[in-house]
Amino acid sequence: MKVLTDERRCVGADLAAWMAAGGGEGLERALAEPAGIIPAIEAAGLRGLGGAGFPTHHKWAAVAARPGPGKWVVCNGNEDEPGTFKDRFLLSRTPHQVIEGALVAALAVGAATVVLYVNPREEAAVRVLREAVMQWEAHPLLARLSAAIGESLRLLVVTGSGLYIGGEETAAVASVMGGFPFPTLKPPFPAERGVEGAPTLVNNVETLAHAGQILRGGPEWYRGLGLGGAPGTKLFSLSGDVLRPGLHELPMGTPLRSLVFEHGGGMLGGKAFKAVFTGGPSNTLLTAGDLDAPLDFDSLRARGSRLGTGAMIVVGEGTSILRKTAEYVAFFAANSCGQCPPCKIGTHQVSRILERIEGGAGRPGDLQALENLAELLPGSGRCGLVDGAATVLASSLRTFRAEYEGALRRG
Amino acid sequence: MSGGIPHAEALAAWRARAPAPPQALPLPVPDLLERFHPDRQPGAIVPLRIGASAGLSCRAELAALLHSDSLVEDLDIAGAPLLEADVLVIGGGGAGCVAALTAARAGARVLLATKLRLGDSNTVMAEGGIQAAVGAEDSLQRHFEDTLRAGHFAADKALVAALVSDGPAVIRWLIQEGMSFDLAEGSERMGGTLLRKKPGGATAARLLSYRDFTGLEMMRALREAVLLAPGITLLDRHPALELLTDDRGRCAGAALHDLGQGRTVLARAGATVLATGGAGRLHIAGFPTSNHYGATADGLVLAYRLGAALREVDSFQYHPTGIAWPPSMEGQLVSEAARASGATLVNGLGERFVDELETRDVVAAAILREIAEGRGIAHGSGQGVFLDTPGLERAKPGILGKGLVTLTHLARRAGFDAAVEPFLVRPTLHYQNGGIAIDPEGWSGVPGLFCAGEVTGGLHGRNRMMGNALLELVAFGRRAGRAAAADARAERPRNIGLTHLADWRRALIAQGLPLTRKAPLVFPPYGNFDMATERGRAA
Repeated sequence: MKVLTDERRCVGADLAAWMAAGGGEGLERALAEPAGIIPAIEAAGLRGLGGAGFPTHHKWAAVAARPGPGKWVVCNGNEDEPGTFKDRFLLSRTPHQVIEGALVAALAVGAATVVLYVNPREEAAVRVLREAVMQWEAHPLLARLSAAIGESLRLLVVTGSGLYIGGEETAAVASVMGGFPFPTLKPPFPAERGVEGAPTLVNNVETLAHAGQILRGGPEWYRGLGLGGAPGTKLFSLSGDVLRPGLHELPMGTPLRSLVFEHGGGMLGGKAFKAVFTGGPSNTLLTAGDLDAPLDFDSLRARGSRLGTGAMIVVGEGTSILRKTAEYVAFFAANSCGQCPPCKIGTHQVSRILERIEGGAGRPGDLQALENLAELLPGSGRCGLVDGAATVLASSLRTFRAEYEGALRRG
Repeated sequence: MSGGIPHAEALAAWRARAPAPPQALPLPVPDLLERFHPDRQPGAIVPLRIGASAGLSCRAELAALLHSDSLVEDLDIAGAPLLEADVLVIGGGGAGCVAALTAARAGARVLLATKLRLGDSNTVMAEGGIQAAVGAEDSLQRHFEDTLRAGHFAADKALVAALVSDGPAVIRWLIQEGMSFDLAEGSERMGGTLLRKKPGGATAARLLSYRDFTGLEMMRALREAVLLAPGITLLDRHPALELLTDDRGRCAGAALHDLGQGRTVLARAGATVLATGGAGRLHIAGFPTSNHYGATADGLVLAYRLGAALREVDSFQYHPTGIAWPPSMEGQLVSEAARASGATLVNGLGERFVDELETRDVVAAAILREIAEGRGIAHGSGQGVFLDTPGLERAKPGILGKGLVTLTHLARRAGFDAAVEPFLVRPTLHYQNGGIAIDPEGWSGVPGLFCAGEVTGGLHGRNRMMGNALLELVAFGRRAGRAAAADARAERPRNIGLTHLADWRRALIAQGLPLTRKAPLVFPPYGNFDMATERGRAA
């Protein structure tokens, strides 16, 4: 069942059309009982869909508990990782759904400034969002919201740096303040000290869109959407060697097999299934043994992997895991902000060795060096970038070592 | 096709009727073309079903290749050695050499990859000459109009304008590169006047030549220049198997097959020039061909998969006078100069059946009609008509020994004397009129991919004029080389790979086309080359 990507809700920047399609109901219910918002989110079991899977109500409650005024809500639409394309869809096709969710969040935590933080390379999303915000500013609901919060509500569209690292929550805060998106050490978390030092709620675009729907349909309805105890729906960015790649909204907990073979139309050209790079792609690979795994946060964590952003890059027989890994590690190396030497130098070094092997110029000690780096690097940075690079490296090296060895022989 | 008239009987009929009658009956030309031109036969043309030019009419044999899957997969290029360049030029014929030279002189590091060896191409087979409006009574405008008319007004005017405007500069450039040209009678050897001849279909004497092996002389000069150029790395015996893309869909080089080492190598380049030539070795409609072994339409297949548009791929040129016997020489060209000098065509009854100076498509169709209607001459397994060289020698004594040297040599190789016995000829697949659509800079519309030479379309419309092929390859080789060198200065391609193939396969599946047929062909199936391994045979 489609909720976020329901065709009727994909109305673009037209606020009147959004209201006609049932928009605004979630916000009305929130306004009717602001104190019930966070309990509803908690009851629905909503978790951070930007990749972390952190329970959303904890974040909201933490910001709500801080004294105002001057609190912020940042809707994080920086999305830049390979294989993920869900936020740009929501922002450009159904922006009001996201904005309404952000407004619900602002009411819940008592923030008067809502920042829609977007990747400037998504020009269509930025354009649609600016138009959508202008339409909200003329709408009476916004005035009622300001009255309920007790401050004049501001709705801002901020284009970030366009850099991958700007999606990390402390980097997003730095970017909204106009600086380079350097991640900072946590604690303090943004909920304690965020934009301008004020308590700040940072949530992913998809998380906020779901929040609005939870208020509209109620937590029980929302929980019922998922499979096997996992709540709600999830946007899966399916790509790679499948017949029908694209954005698929499916119940949380849908088995991988169903995503690939049913919704994705099966493997391209009938090739054998090899693996899936999930999330960043910064997680442990899912292999044929994981085909029956339910795709939700807890089930994948139990298998030593993670759901991440819901990006599923499928690799079939005939596609090289080595080349994919080299591509992703090169991405992380190019996108390291450079603050932490182990990350800056480590990702670069891994990338260099991988490219060497891939380019037929690998050396005998290279696999040992990669294994060493995969053990050394995790946990050595302020943010999770280096961990992601090391995880995907270690996983592909462990699972598909023969491919590395084959490339070394061929060179 | 009926059995035809046995060779001995036909010879007797020809001797009995000699000299040949002064003129054949006039022919209903449109009807003749409609019924006998190979491209107009039922089933010859099919629409393309996928790709940037889906719906375009295409010769069926070519469409089968264009609807194929790749020879390589992502896994095949993992661990493949990586070569780096600013500009990769694929094809070592005239256009490829000119593009490589131009790019290297513009400061680019160039990789020149050829399927066979440098200069193994159709360029060396061009006998007639090269057109350029250099005469006092001639003009660019006349060259422009002649080219458009010859192409049945199907050519792209901007491309033709670029072609003819470059003409005089191209000749100057070739002379600077060291190419020789025939000079006018009584002209000084140094600083003399170029000898000009009138090509078929032209309104002025515009054909410049070097004896009857102009292309060979051109290739000699170009080959030397390439070998001496410091900025060019030459990769002989490296056919291209697939073009590479970067993560933004830009062409980023090619996967090459190193025939010497039997392995795949990757050439990463900021810009790529495709100069892979034509498609004669597809033997369209079963015709023999005048083309060399490498002419297997590889460039069209690779560029089309990457998203380049094609045009006029339903139009091929069949040269009327290819050798029909002996089989070992089948398809080789008997130069148009023979007919231009007055040699007649005679069927098995000793009759003339067509005005020999009609355009190539009409003469070819007329010969095919004689064969189809039983008036052809059977010799061994083949059939043809006579090209009456003894009659020519009688009319113009001495011409075979002096003027038509190559022709006399061909007859000697075939084991007879051209002054005594006529040639047995039939049409041979000669030229691909269409190809990859380009702009006047040789850009294919795919970022980073440029094309030059026979692989491109739009210059010749539906019929090529003699002498424009050599001009095209220099003019557009220079344009593409220059544009590629400039384009390569943009950013270096990252994450190169074969991502376009996944979309291509999805399109094949969506149209219900099999993934089992592989292309490019690389070598014709009968070619006994190293590459004709399991891959080549699978194609």
